[in-house]
Amino acid sequence: MTLSRAQPITQLLDAETVQNIADEVWPSLVGDGEAFVPVPVAPPAEVLSAWVTISGPWNGAVVLTCAPATAEALTESVLMTRPPTVVDDEDVADALGELANVLGGNIKSVLPGPSALGLPQIGTAPATGRLDDVRRLDGQWRGQSLTITVQGATGAPHTDRNEVPQP
Amino acid sequence: MKILVTDDSRVMRQIVIRTLRQAGYDDHDIIQAADGREAFDLVAAEAPDLVLSDWNMPEMSGIECLEALRASGSQVPFGFVTSEGSPEMREKAANAGALFLIAKPFTEDTFRDALDGVLS
Repeated sequence: MTLSRAQPITQLLDAETVQNIADEVWPSLVGDGEAFVPVPVAPPAEVLSAWVTISGPWNGAVVLTCAPATAEALTESVLMTRPPTVVDDEDVADALGELANVLGGNIKSVLPGPSALGLPQIGTAPATGRLDDVRRLDGQWRGQSLTITVQGATGAPHTDRNEVPQP
Repeated sequence: MKILVTDDSRVMRQIVIRTLRQAGYDDHDIIQAADGREAFDLVAAEAPDLVLSDWNMPEMSGIECLEALRASGSQVPFGFVTSEGSPEMREKAANAGALFLIAKPFTEDTFRDALDGVLS
């Protein structure tokens, strides 16, 4: 059993690293020439989130948030579907969850370990914890708002020593 | 040649299969499993020439599947395609008998580099 002193995500991960990961994920999963552009646009009124948890010296989640229509368009791009083929809710949950999973897996790899990655979840994003334990990138894809948030778990202790689960 | 693609995400299975085709492996039979348990059963039933598997899955993870296969005496070539590629995981995969670990995101070149020696 390893003991480690956890630090907030702002001390562990900079925005450039998250952007670099997104720069690799988008062309590979969303399609050739596709990109997460780090220029914020107006946030949508209604949002959908997909996330994976990271449990280890740092505890929290990697959350991808966008409008439901953007999630549908992302899914169509990931699956390379063309009209009249339509994607259903299960496809959207799967595709958005897998984008969060790949982002989360790569972010986990640059955080202190050992740590474990949870399975993708979709719905309303979990609440954020301390303000200094949130690394948030507001950006866009094809002009639509998209946010990648790396956020500490609510109530996650940062100053106490934590037990670190085995990977 | 027959390739078993294992991932709990149908979307990711589709992406893996698409990348296999883009990498030039379009003349192989592809079969699919949604978790490690199903993959374990399909190895016995279908005798694939290669298993490509995600790591993190419900029911039975990829590493548990590989360990169960080796414990049962199966020596089917096995490689991981997973969102995590830390040195610890690569070591654990190699120790369990995996031939390679492809980290997501990947390209068709990544697939060619890993699979050419196995499928040639």
